[in-house]
This record gives sequence, C-alpha cells and structure tokens, in this order.
Amino acid sequence: MMKPKTADRIATIVFWLLGGITVGVLLFIILQIFGRGLLTALNPKFLLGKPEAMKEGGGIFPMIISSLYLTGLTLLIALPVSLGAAIYLAEYSREGRVTGAIRFCVDSLAGLPSIVFGIFGMTLFVIYFGWGYSLIAGAFTCAILNLPTLMRSSEESIRSVPGTYREASFSLGATRWTTVRQVVLPSATPGILAGTMLTIGRILGESAAIVYTAGLFVRKAPTSPMDTAAPLASYIWYAQTEALIPDFRRVVDGGAAFLLLLVLLMNFLARRLARYYQRKKLAGGADG
Amino acid sequence: MVDETPIDDTKTRISEYSRRCADSFTRETRMEEPTKESEPRITTDSLSMSYGEFKALEDITVQVPRRSITAIIGPSGCGKSSLLRCFNRMNDLVEGCRVTGEVKLDGEDIYAPGYDVIQLRRTVGMVFQRPNPFPKTVYDNVAYGPRLSGVKDKERLNRVVEESLKKAALWEEVKGKLKGSAMNLSGGQQQRLCIARVLAVEPEVILLDEPCSALDPVATQRVEDLLAELKERYTMVIVTHNMQQAARVSDFTAFVMIENQGEPGKVVEFGDTNHMFTNPVDERTERYITGRFG
Repeated sequence: MMKPKTADRIATIVFWLLGGITVGVLLFIILQIFGRGLLTALNPKFLLGKPEAMKEGGGIFPMIISSLYLTGLTLLIALPVSLGAAIYLAEYSREGRVTGAIRFCVDSLAGLPSIVFGIFGMTLFVIYFGWGYSLIAGAFTCAILNLPTLMRSSEESIRSVPGTYREASFSLGATRWTTVRQVVLPSATPGILAGTMLTIGRILGESAAIVYTAGLFVRKAPTSPMDTAAPLASYIWYAQTEALIPDFRRVVDGGAAFLLLLVLLMNFLARRLARYYQRKKLAGGADG
Repeated sequence: MVDETPIDDTKTRISEYSRRCADSFTRETRMEEPTKESEPRITTDSLSMSYGEFKALEDITVQVPRRSITAIIGPSGCGKSSLLRCFNRMNDLVEGCRVTGEVKLDGEDIYAPGYDVIQLRRTVGMVFQRPNPFPKTVYDNVAYGPRLSGVKDKERLNRVVEESLKKAALWEEVKGKLKGSAMNLSGGQQQRLCIARVLAVEPEVILLDEPCSALDPVATQRVEDLLAELKERYTMVIVTHNMQQAARVSDFTAFVMIENQGEPGKVVEFGDTNHMFTNPVDERTERYITGRFG
C-alpha cells in the first residue's frame, strides 16, 4: 500500500501533466499557425484586397465579409429557434414523452457529421428550393447544424437559474411569461451569451456544411443574402486543394491565421462578458 | 391577554379569541366595515393536500384573524410549509400537488375554479426561508411588484420604493445604494429587502416561511421587531421551527404534527399563543413545546 500522502502527490503531478498537455497542444497549434501566417494576416493589402484566381498577390476581403455575413444570418435564424425551444424545455414542458422525443432528436442531430448537413442543405436549399449557392442556403444549413449545441447550452443556462428567483417572482403575482422575461432570461444571459460566442466560433470555422451551400470562391463581397459567398474556412479549403493560385501557401496560411485570430477574439469576448455580469452581480448563476 | 377561565373545548376557545381579537379591532381607526373586520382573514375547512400518492396534510381547519400574527409550529417535515403555501396557492407550481377542502380569503374560496391566482398572490404576499432577492438592483427588486401591476410613472415608483423600504426598516441602510446590486447586502438586509419587495405590492396578508432560519441572532431580532410593527397593518402567518420565536412574535399558534411516519400532518391544537405556551390543552402540544420531541 502506498501512503495516502504519496498517492496524493502522484495524483497531483499526473493531473498537472495532463492539464499541461492540453495547454501545450493548443499553444503549439497557435504558434504554428501564427508563425506561418500572422504577418500576412495583419497586412492590410491582404485583408482588404480582392482574391486572384490565377495570379499571385490576392487578398481575402470578400471572404471576411462572407464569413461575418454568414455568421450574422445563421444566428438570426438559429438563436430565436434554439432559445424558444430551450425556454419551452426548461420552463414550460413537464417531463414526459414529448420532451423525451425532443431531447432524443436534438442529441441525434448533434451527433451527425457536418458534411451530412452540407449534403442535406445542398439538396434541399440549393437545388430543391432553387436558391443556388447562396448565403441564405449556407445560413440555414449552418443554423440547423448548430441548433443542438446552441439549444442545449441555452437550456443549461436557463436551468441553472435558481428556483428561488422563480418562486419570488410568482409569489409577487407574476405570470410564467413575465417571470421568464424579467427574471429567468436576464439571469441566464451570461450563459446564453457564452454559448452564442462559442457557436460563432464554430460557424466561423465551419467548412464542410458551407462548401456545397454558400459557395467557395467569389471575387466580390456578397451584398444580398441570395448572393453566392465564400466564407473564409471554405475558401481556405478551396485554395489548399483545388484552386490554381500560384501563391496558395501564403493565402492559406494568412487566412488560417486571421480565422484563428477571429475565433480567439470571440472566446476572449465571451469570457469578458461573463465576468462583467458576475462582477456586477446583476445576473446570478447558481452561486447567486 | 391571558384568559383565566379554563375552557376545554378548543373550538369554543378559537371563537372566543376571534371575538376578542375582533373587539380590539373595532377600536382601530382605519378599519373598513365593522362586520368585515370581525371576520377572520383566512379560514380553512377540512383542508387536505397531497403530493401524488403521498398525503401531506389532512383535515386542517384553522382561522387566521386579521392584523395579528399567527404562527404555525411543528416538527420538521410535518407539512407546516405546505400548509402556508396553500394560502397563496404556491403549491400549484409543484407537479402532482392536489388540494381538497376549502381555503377562504375574506370568505371567498381561493381554490374555486376561475379564481384569479395572480390577484391572490398580490393580496397574499410571501417571504421565503432563504432571502431570495433577484440579482437586480435594490431599487428594481422593490419596484418589481408595482411594475408588474403596470406602474410606470417614475415619481410614483420612487415613492413606493422609498415607502416600502422605510416600512421594512431598511431605508437608512440602503438609501445610498439603491442602484447597487441587492446581492451585495448582508443576509439580514436581504431578508428585509424581500419584505420590502412584498410590501411594495400592497398586500393584505403576508406569509413568512421560516424567515429567520438563515439569519444570525442580531438579524433575527431586527426582523422580529419589524414583524411586531407590521402587525398594526397586516395579517401575518409565520411558519417557524423555533418555538421561542413563535412565543415572542405571535398572537395565535397552530401546532401541526404527524402522528406516525408516513401519515399526513394534522393540526393538534390551535389558539392563543400565550395560552398555548402556558397552558396547552393537548398533551402532545405540551410535550412538543417543552422540548421532549421534535
């Protein structure tokens, strides 16, 4: 038998090492990508320039706009639906067959690989609805893809609002809807925002669901939701595998570095927002 | 106020005390109709309550007189909180909860079909075991109820907030931090804030579910003092597991207990607090208040 103290020390070291590996891998990836592409990614000529199909020196401006446009549209579709479903599941439904069925569907949806959503989106939105490769087709596909996680994280945030807040609200003569609006949602906001920020990161990085729905190369930034677009992630994939760009390495590395910057910024913002709410103590989590 | 003549029948005693308490109220200046004043505020008749298969309360018949404090005491798990929550129908929120029998507020059955529960909860306010302010500002906590009933006027809200906080003896401590989070107040202050939040709705009855159980002795003292003041204007029902507290603050006491494990809680004795604590009719009451069980 090992002495408990020794065992504890070994456990501490093992867990410290495992934690260290996670951080190490992340740092390695970040350093790799930034090392190759950060200089390009911070070059205004690259960021604001038009892409070239056959020549050197192309930029990624339409792709950045496509990515942001797609993210906005996707959230516009996915947020109301997932929030509504989360409110229903957490506040209105009584546990039973209906909620069980909803949960099963959502979990199954969450388990599907994103290329399946891509093919589905292409079949339904691009071909059947006749929308063609467009932002709107990409946004709907991406929305369906992200619905489960967004809904689950919202539901968790709503459930973690202490029941005592609801009791207090009801006892003051509030209806369920007023309670949800005035007490539950404000308290759940930090969690919902954090989930949304992570989803934004996922949308920015999504390519498989996008290449066959929104498009992968454009020369001009899209303006209408019906326009074909080329979000960064799908353009990176295109540039790396199919395009005939002579300096594709530079484009791919620069694009990847810029994408990583965007995602890191989103995660950073998510944490700042959560901390802001916590410090103000104007929205409670479980610790009130 | 202790009655010297021994009356054995509990029911006669209840009506006797209701009458006496009515007498004292006819001297009140801000009374409404004299006949209404003499009626008890809340009455229950053979009230039973169950959670699914489990019967929590059976055959509860009590009367809560106006402008007084009625305490509900009893050992843990006897159903005293459940009984309290029948008075503002907070039990409705519990899945599988069923209430039979009658609960009347000013003579009107609050479990009648179509009864306005929202209005009921505005008339019958509630303070909970643990202070549960919203994670909002002190001001928004107190203004919550009035805003629900549609008050938007800033001036009027300011007035209601100030008055309610003054009534709850909290104004002096928080007037400088109305815009700060209620979560930054101490436990005792939070509980008085919750009382202020209830007062802002202008209720007639206030239910208190062990309001001091999470507070230290000093904060408890302040809340008890506050209850004594509020008694002038409101009918209050307080659930407490602390018999000293019941003896200190209440005018009437209902003793609830469970005979055997798994059986529903019943009211063993109900009457004037002084009388019950000095001269209990039921032997079980005597054993409980002298600390021999529970």
